[in-house]
Amino acid sequence: MGIRKLSTASLHAWVDRIIAGNRVIGIQAKDDKFAFAPLSAAGDLRLDHDVAYTPPKAFFQPAIETLVRYRGIEHESVVDDDPFVLFGVHPYDMVALNQMAEIWSRDNYDPHYMSRWEQATVVACDVQNVSENCFAGCMGTAHVKEGFDILLTKVGDSYLADYRTEKGEKLADLMEQSRDATDGDLRARREVWHANNRLLRRHELQMFPNNLPELLEKSYDHPVWEEMAERCFSCGSCNLCCPTCYCFDVQDDVEWDLQSGERKRAWDGCMLASFAGVAGGHNFRGDRADRYRHRYYRKGKYVPEMIGECACVGCGRCISACVANIANPVTVYNRLLEDE
Amino acid sequence: MSKPKVAIFDFACCEGCQLQIVNLEEELLDLISVVQPVTWREAMSEKDDDYDIALIEGSITRPEDEERLRAIRDRADILVALGACATIGGVNKLKNNFELDEVKRCVYGDAADMPHLDTAMTKGADEVVEVDCYVHGCPMDKKEFTHIVKSLALGKEPVIPDYPVCVECKQRGTICRYEYGEICLGVVTRAGCNAPCPSGGLWCFGCRGYAPEPNVQAARDVMEEYDLTVEDLQSKLKLFNSKQEPTNA
Repeated sequence: MGIRKLSTASLHAWVDRIIAGNRVIGIQAKDDKFAFAPLSAAGDLRLDHDVAYTPPKAFFQPAIETLVRYRGIEHESVVDDDPFVLFGVHPYDMVALNQMAEIWSRDNYDPHYMSRWEQATVVACDVQNVSENCFAGCMGTAHVKEGFDILLTKVGDSYLADYRTEKGEKLADLMEQSRDATDGDLRARREVWHANNRLLRRHELQMFPNNLPELLEKSYDHPVWEEMAERCFSCGSCNLCCPTCYCFDVQDDVEWDLQSGERKRAWDGCMLASFAGVAGGHNFRGDRADRYRHRYYRKGKYVPEMIGECACVGCGRCISACVANIANPVTVYNRLLEDE
Repeated sequence: MSKPKVAIFDFACCEGCQLQIVNLEEELLDLISVVQPVTWREAMSEKDDDYDIALIEGSITRPEDEERLRAIRDRADILVALGACATIGGVNKLKNNFELDEVKRCVYGDAADMPHLDTAMTKGADEVVEVDCYVHGCPMDKKEFTHIVKSLALGKEPVIPDYPVCVECKQRGTICRYEYGEICLGVVTRAGCNAPCPSGGLWCFGCRGYAPEPNVQAARDVMEEYDLTVEDLQSKLKLFNSKQEPTNA
């Protein structure tokens, strides 16, 4: 384990060597946005991206995936164990992936998700350009301390590569023309972290995230839920673009023999009208306002009470994705605080 | 178990949805292993009025169409509306925004008064008879059609998405048209098509009809924030989602 310093040119040469021997998913340009996609050349990698349009959860919990293949009552689980390198994950997304690993492994251990998580080598990357709605600085996620195999930080014209795990070391072994980081380099890296903590605040949450459960405890009947939900399309965009929304629906895709097929799960979201629909046609969150409120409670209360961390990591994707402009958690939580 | 007998009928439409069934090509043999087509103008010469399932394609635009549809409904155990013209009236409902006489003269000129060109306000199938199952879209999606056929054959209710198209754009990682200040009807339109239009750089045209409980008022309200007008929204909605009266979004 260690921290190496390498020039941008050396970094590119290193990434090309990684690509030569591994399946690499890297952050790249997509129109005027950025997206994770199979990486074929280091030159396509955009470590200067502001935010990945779709969060990296998509490579661990694909939008649609096959869980089981069946024929009559015979069946086999489908588990993806193909190793891959995920390159260019921002700290707030890394925090989200750490939370997801915690959630998918507790209670009913999910072999589908966890196999991909175990097979992945995650190269995180400190933020170089702030997206329009990021507020990670308020959520304590502008910087990440664990979960990654390598953390890259741009310091001046060079990169520091902090490798912590065996998988990280295996990739770091492919570096040529790098040297150990000096105390000065590490000081410079700390300055980047401090700066990012200030800069990743496009919206300013007026409280510490760990005060949210208590605030929400008192806010169940607040008028904000009805007010905001009036404009809600129930389109689920805020759920599906969220790096910590992991709910899913399961359906069978049957073959023409009507005997065999695949059982698939797909992203679902609590803002969708029938999400809480159950047998008999009942829906225990049939009103938009109930659904709208639920998302804020999931992020700020229910999941924190389960795993001890705020489930909003401040990526700001929901704010950008909401056509009706009602999905900003900072606006809602600040409003609850003001009216307390 | 004997295979259910299926008859396919066309009303006012381009017959493109029937063509989608023909386009199943090698899967057609699978299809007829599950159901027995007895009437299907585009694919067979035989005709039979003894059927269990009727697939209705096209919209209802004349009084005599209503009579014909009612007769089909009486014979069928299950009536399926196939494609946008049948499910919601589709593009044929555009004419409901105008005076019928004006529409006829625009299309047929001097011949407009000939009796076989008589026309009425366009209706979807369920504005005339009870519909048991909907295959949405223009044209209908082959994969969804086969899902529905298999479900019916299994005696299961088919799973038809009841959420907006936005879900499928997010699943595909398609960049939202509103990011570019363009109207997209995906926010109020039923998903299930896998959002091919936005992924191809276009807006959602709304061909699958409104999602249940569409928040059209919210769509009106947000237009201004994107430097668009309610009239812009209406002009898009008219194409597939016109009503029995002029469209006011």
